Amino acid sequence: MLVGTVVGNLWATKKDPSLVGLRFLVVRPFTTDGKESAETLVAVDVLGAGIGERVLVVFGRAARHAIGRSHDIGFQTAIAAIIDTMELEEGRIVGPTSEHDRPAKRSKGTS
Amino acid sequence: MFLGRVVGEVWATKKVQDLAGLRLLVVEALDERREPGAPKVTPVVAADPLGAALGDHVVVAFGKAARVAQLGLDGDYAFEAAIVGIVDDFDVPNAPASWRLTDVRELAAARAKEPR
Repeated sequence: MLVGTVVGNLWATKKDPSLVGLRFLVVRPFTTDGKESAETLVAVDVLGAGIGERVLVVFGRAARHAIGRSHDIGFQTAIAAIIDTMELEEGRIVGPTSEHDRPAKRSKGTS
Repeated sequence: MFLGRVVGEVWATKKVQDLAGLRLLVVEALDERREPGAPKVTPVVAADPLGAALGDHVVVAFGKAARVAQLGLDGDYAFEAAIVGIVDDFDVPNAPASWRLTDVRELAAARAKEPR
């Protein structure tokens, strides 16, 4: 599982029949080094997440279960939760649905 | 499976039903680095049946192992990563000094000095 921010939608007309009617989102994984992740991934969304929201992405069997269309499906990534709040080291609380996933600056201030 | 360190926790109201009641921690691998001094790039979210605390070193398992660790059985559940052990101690010759640190600020300082 990982946390990512929804950065876009994706549509495909020509696709595996098991995927008809599913909603696809482009998700950029959260990083803790203060930089935007270079990679993105595509996940099926059954919860109705929107662009800018932070989501929990699951893989494999967990994803097929979250999609809810049996296990014979041509996809292996899905959104299992829409994150309200994320608390990180130094007592930083990130949320609800903050705009950017780049809060993890390990500052030297007091806390 | 990997050795990591707990760096945070997440909460979600809107979620697949069988995630209800799970404690979800954000875990950073000890050994992954994008560049010298940078921490682990993409942290993993893992269910926590053991009660790990922020800063703890933990072992994270995936897939069936994770579901069995969390629930005592495998089945259709919407998670695939779980903390299966809280590390008391480890002996890894030549491991970077930062592996031992749990304080965020000391860790950042130590990592900044490490070679790639």
